[in-house]
Amino acid sequence: MHPPIEKLITKDAIHRSVYADSEIFDLEMERIFNKVWVYLGHSEEIREEGDYKTTYVGRHPIIVSRLADGSVTALINRCRHRGPIVCQHELGNSKYFRCPYHSWTYNNAGDLIGVPMPQGYGRSFDKSALGLAKVPRVAEYQGFIFGCMSEEGPTLKEYLGGITKFLDAYVATSPTGKIELFEGMQKCAYNGNWKYQLENGVDPYHVGSLHASAVTPEAMQIYRQGTGCVIAMDGHGVTDHTDWGPMPVDASLSGGFNLVIFPNLVVLRSQIRTIRPIAVNRTEIYTNVVKLQNVPDEVNIRRLRDQEFQFGAAGTFFTDDIEIFERTQEGLQSGAVEWLVFSRGLDREVMKNGYMTGNMSDETQHRGMYQNWKRLMTNYTPSPMSTAAE
Amino acid sequence: MHVERPEIENFLYREARLLDTRKFEEWFDLFTDDAIYWVPAGRDDIDPTRHVSIIHDDRAAMATRIKRLRSGFAYAQDPQSHVHRLISNVELGATDNDKQTIEVTCMMLLVELARHRQTFHSARCEFTLDHSTGSWRVRRKKVNLLRNGEVLENTPYLI
Repeated sequence: MHPPIEKLITKDAIHRSVYADSEIFDLEMERIFNKVWVYLGHSEEIREEGDYKTTYVGRHPIIVSRLADGSVTALINRCRHRGPIVCQHELGNSKYFRCPYHSWTYNNAGDLIGVPMPQGYGRSFDKSALGLAKVPRVAEYQGFIFGCMSEEGPTLKEYLGGITKFLDAYVATSPTGKIELFEGMQKCAYNGNWKYQLENGVDPYHVGSLHASAVTPEAMQIYRQGTGCVIAMDGHGVTDHTDWGPMPVDASLSGGFNLVIFPNLVVLRSQIRTIRPIAVNRTEIYTNVVKLQNVPDEVNIRRLRDQEFQFGAAGTFFTDDIEIFERTQEGLQSGAVEWLVFSRGLDREVMKNGYMTGNMSDETQHRGMYQNWKRLMTNYTPSPMSTAAE
Repeated sequence: MHVERPEIENFLYREARLLDTRKFEEWFDLFTDDAIYWVPAGRDDIDPTRHVSIIHDDRAAMATRIKRLRSGFAYAQDPQSHVHRLISNVELGATDNDKQTIEVTCMMLLVELARHRQTFHSARCEFTLDHSTGSWRVRRKKVNLLRNGEVLENTPYLI
């Protein structure tokens, strides 16, 4: 039982059921993850024709493929016959996906191209209507590939809004204007709600406290100086020490900006984190490490080593983040206290460059994301899930 | 270079015991100045200059990691993990007489208990052990976790 959805987010507080009620989680999968642009992966992961990666949009298992014409398609990883996933690898190269159960075979554009003994299905059997279902819209910005389960709604660029400027500044850190990724990922899980990671990705307020054991005095100095700002930007969150870029090449904590692109992407320092919500109290985080082009090898190695040391499953920062996410989930099981406080900076935030902007330790960016959450959760009109096959 | 098997086994048991009993500084002293403490991610045979690792520490990073665990503010270790390591299948590999080193592999079963939750890790460990100063020290410790390609639970303890 939870209060009506429109009452869960006030101007300065959030109701515990937003994090702890599995019914709310189910609605989020439908009203958010089936509606908005969701991060699928980076162009560098599927550079060559036939390259693919598997990922998720909410509960949908997805295959993202590079086709022969260089375009990217995203398919629902589910055999149209009886339902098994047709690709079980994280990354690979293949022009075909074959379900081993009865050998229904699809090309990487999703078309059903082979069914053993098709005559058994009779005359009305139409292979062209039984391709893998498609994510209706796929688009890319600065190499970041997103998919949208809804045919309608804003374009990716409209959806990203002002944050495109920060993505521009992020890739501009690389002297060629293009970033690459180190091979492999850091993969971690926690028993807690997915939105803790969204908040935490743009939360300078916690750094000096939760990360007291890990943060360097120099980096702490940056936060204490109070320079920089937090921005509620078109439903996404930004913390910015740079006055809109560029990022320091070494990706050090002393400077730069953090981006949280609602609902599942965090870009900060040398990392691209993808958030996968599993259940109201279970979340997985997949992290890629970003490499710059045309810089000395030592610079990229330093980025990699710092990232591993601080933000992997054994990272000196990340382990305390994960710990607090699990403690939060435990605390919010209690209905004795219903509300979480989100009022910091409410009296001093100002409009700047067209966006509500707060001091470095304020919660303006969180309030912006949750107003977006509220809008999506309440202004919902169900739309039939469309597939290319229908 | 003549190496007696029991001295190697005893060294590995001691290395494991120092971690289990949280004698991190003594454990740290087992490592040479140029040591690498490495836990690959994804699979065992990655190139750590091209591929992400779970841990890839030089000695300075190891020292920082231990300092953090001792700081009183490492919240992911409050309460601290209790860890048992079982070391088995010890095999002595190649020796290098000039460098006074030997390659050793062993299997490790690590059981961690934290906040009422037990986590198991099976790993094939590789060590380069160095005897050039008259006692055994670790020049390289590589822990190949069975689950290094999987989604991992929080791992704030030393592996």
